[in-house]
Amino acid sequence: MRQAIALLFCLAATAVAAHDGHDMHAGMSMPKGPDLGASAAIDGKGRLWVVDAADDHVRLRHSDDFGRSLSAPEPVNAQAEPIYAEGENRPKIAFGAKGELYVSWSQPRAKPWTGYVRFARSTDGGTHFSAPITVHHDLAEITHRFDAMAVDGKGRIVMAWIDKRDLEAASAKGKPYLGAAIYTSVSTDGGATFSTERKLADETCECCRIALASTPQGEIAAFYRSIFGDNIRDHAYAVLHANGRALEPQRATFDDWHIAGCPHHGPGLAIGADGVRHAVWYEAKDKPTIHYGQLQPGKAPAHAQVIANAGASHADVAVNGKQVWVAWNQVDAQGFALMLRESRDGGASFDDGRAIANAKGAVASPQLLLWQGRAFVAWNTAAGFRLVPTEAL
Amino acid sequence: MRRALLGLLLALPLAAQAAAPVALKAEDVPALLKPPAHGVRVLALWGLDCAYCESNLQALMKLQRAHPREIELIAVATDSVEQSAALEQRLHAAGVDALPSRAYAEATPERINYLIDPNWGGELPRTLIIRADGSRRGISGQLTPDKLATIP
Repeated sequence: MRQAIALLFCLAATAVAAHDGHDMHAGMSMPKGPDLGASAAIDGKGRLWVVDAADDHVRLRHSDDFGRSLSAPEPVNAQAEPIYAEGENRPKIAFGAKGELYVSWSQPRAKPWTGYVRFARSTDGGTHFSAPITVHHDLAEITHRFDAMAVDGKGRIVMAWIDKRDLEAASAKGKPYLGAAIYTSVSTDGGATFSTERKLADETCECCRIALASTPQGEIAAFYRSIFGDNIRDHAYAVLHANGRALEPQRATFDDWHIAGCPHHGPGLAIGADGVRHAVWYEAKDKPTIHYGQLQPGKAPAHAQVIANAGASHADVAVNGKQVWVAWNQVDAQGFALMLRESRDGGASFDDGRAIANAKGAVASPQLLLWQGRAFVAWNTAAGFRLVPTEAL
Repeated sequence: MRRALLGLLLALPLAAQAAAPVALKAEDVPALLKPPAHGVRVLALWGLDCAYCESNLQALMKLQRAHPREIELIAVATDSVEQSAALEQRLHAAGVDALPSRAYAEATPERINYLIDPNWGGELPRTLIIRADGSRRGISGQLTPDKLATIP
């Protein structure tokens, strides 16, 4: 009995120590209910996969009935670690050519705004995951976060993230540097290892998600909020060549929004089989505005039009042939609506917006998913994860 | 001497409490937006994940100290009031913990954003200037000296 009590004390002490460690690493993240940052993807067999974070674990769930019921969550990282899962920082999921599951996330470090980009894979349909690895080779305790992940036509895993090593270097020399850099890395061995990262661009926005999409040639393209001149936070586009070819970012939006601040509001990108780059983005030079346009890097987008104004945020875009969908969150004094606008003429015009779901509580950014020509919106809400069909009933 | 020490000990927690953010619920927003009797009320909206917010608070506090009668300055954190300890610590580190301070107490912070200013998309820092005549002006991003000069 005495031994049992002693053991209990030991366990209790361990639990307390672990809790302290958690608080130290989590830094600014105090208990405040679950964060809703989540990502979803539908595989070739129509199975929906969802990743989000709870209790220092990225967790994986799946559904064989398009989200009506979800499997019990399985941890991706066996060992607990802090995980960013709010706003524009959310765990990601992608599929390999042979059905592998790839999961990435950003891990907060001790100091504010710092992080490591983490990666784990499963080759047995999510039953087991590899021990997480840190994607970047630079292990300074600085910002490496807002990870974005995509798999290219050759099965290579392309990662991009926001990285402050160049800001740190400039600050150490007393030189001015706005925002942060974006770095990118490629895995050619199914996520066992990642290449030494290379820089895509200096002076980009430090707090906005990076949108990735496949080109018809099977490469991965990035669309992200950059900084031009004195804090003009317009967007840039670049193909993330995985073969070592030079990266050539070009300015792609020209709203001239000047802000020395954190929009926490990244863009969306979807590229059609015809190569048309459908994009959505946010700016608030005069008033909050979600724009749609077809990117023509180096000059203003074609078919540019306003999708929504006050209360609208975090739009995503998807394309299938001549059909283009734009989904976004719309808030007002009552709560949230998940809004949709659809085009049947390749994005030249869109029908009026309509609410396809509502929520009283907190919601995460919507994510458009395509499966066999149908569009769904993955929407994680405080009341639970939802996969919302876009077809009008 | 002992009494002085005791007094100091008693005073310490009070000093620390000076920056404890007061919960801001949706129903508190109208009072916060009510035009002041005279001068201006400035809401300095800030957040933990905002690299520009602390320097903006410092600049606003300096301005407020130069115009104490004209400017009422309130720091409003868009992070949850449940993160009080982290918020206080950050305000203290920036030397602005003497300011009256609020923090969101609402499951959907975007709803409070909207109630405070429908023409604000949540980008930080955000400065909302409310004048005695009822007029309001919102400015996103770190305030330049030119913009600061327009406040008093």
